[in-house]
Amino acid sequence: MEKFAVRNVRLCTKDCLCLFVCPTGATDTENSVIDTDKCIGCGACAEACPSAAISMVPTIYPIPLPKEDSVVTAMNRLSAKKAEEEAAAGKLAETADRDGLYRLMKAVERSIRLSNADVLRESGYLLPQGDEAVRLLKDWLWNPPAADFPKETAEKLAELMGVKD
Amino acid sequence: MKYICQVCGYVYDEASEACPFDQLPDSWQCPWCKAPKTQFKPEQDEAPADAAADLAGADIGADDADSLKQLSPGQLAALCTNLARGCEKQYKAEESKLFAELAAYFTAAVPPAEDASVEALAEQLQDEISLYPATRAAADAAGDRGAARALVWGEKVSRMLSSLVTRYLEEGEAMLEGTEIWICTACGFVYIGETPPELCPVCKVPSWKFEKIEGRR
Repeated sequence: MEKFAVRNVRLCTKDCLCLFVCPTGATDTENSVIDTDKCIGCGACAEACPSAAISMVPTIYPIPLPKEDSVVTAMNRLSAKKAEEEAAAGKLAETADRDGLYRLMKAVERSIRLSNADVLRESGYLLPQGDEAVRLLKDWLWNPPAADFPKETAEKLAELMGVKD
Repeated sequence: MKYICQVCGYVYDEASEACPFDQLPDSWQCPWCKAPKTQFKPEQDEAPADAAADLAGADIGADDADSLKQLSPGQLAALCTNLARGCEKQYKAEESKLFAELAAYFTAAVPPAEDASVEALAEQLQDEISLYPATRAAADAAGDRGAARALVWGEKVSRMLSSLVTRYLEEGEAMLEGTEIWICTACGFVYIGETPPELCPVCKVPSWKFEKIEGRR
């Protein structure tokens, strides 16, 4: 199977045409999540859905384009700055004695985390199964960054993602 | 003359407004994103003359470039958050949960910010905002539109944070009494008001993508 069907429950209008056209019963489930074990990737449900609530997702993604060193370096400098701000906002939320300050610092902390995740995504980590992310995961397995690093978590990830030596 | 909001791009066109921009009160806010008047810039036809200087700032020495390759625990935490989100988008719930666990590990490993103060945070945000022109120049020179997109959003989000933190320094708790703080879960844009905006002024996702920041329980 090269593709499988997923349903966006927020868009689903319960017209149920997907149930009528699905040859394996994969779309008829008690929790609205299409059963990937039954889905054969034929795409009939996605074509029939009048609300465009079903899309076909590939099982294997193309490798993202490589990033220029100059871009990665400049983005890393920005990212380092954002990480410092996040830590400062986190500390200020923790020690805040007023409700407004607490909420504002929580908002800043979360906002910075989201935008920093985005900056790092565009520094070569677009896809979790991409080269850079896999290299990082392997590095953590062989050279854990600290004694208390949760190695089992990284090992489980490597197994699920099919990362081999 | 036209004045453009640097957070959301709203255009204040004096030709169709009753009040000249200069005469608007200091408390005037962008009608779309509520950015303060100070975040508006007059419209310019050409790139600013200091673009060359901005480009010069993009040069990072070899030693600095080497040290920048080593990501701090805070950066690794954000990186794992990104990978968790990437897995979530691919409907890989288990992988997403595991990357989120690693993000939590690295977050806990960040050394505490000892001398944190709201004043210092306002300065840090200003410093960060000053990095965008050079970073953008590096992205443009490489033809990297993905990076350019992240930088456009990042700068807008940080400009909003900077203006909110500055406003808090001036107005204190009164600024936030009886009102809610909302965050766009797609780009991080922060909005103060009773209800979230219909569309995110920065990344244009619908209002249901916003979450309310709750007080301490």
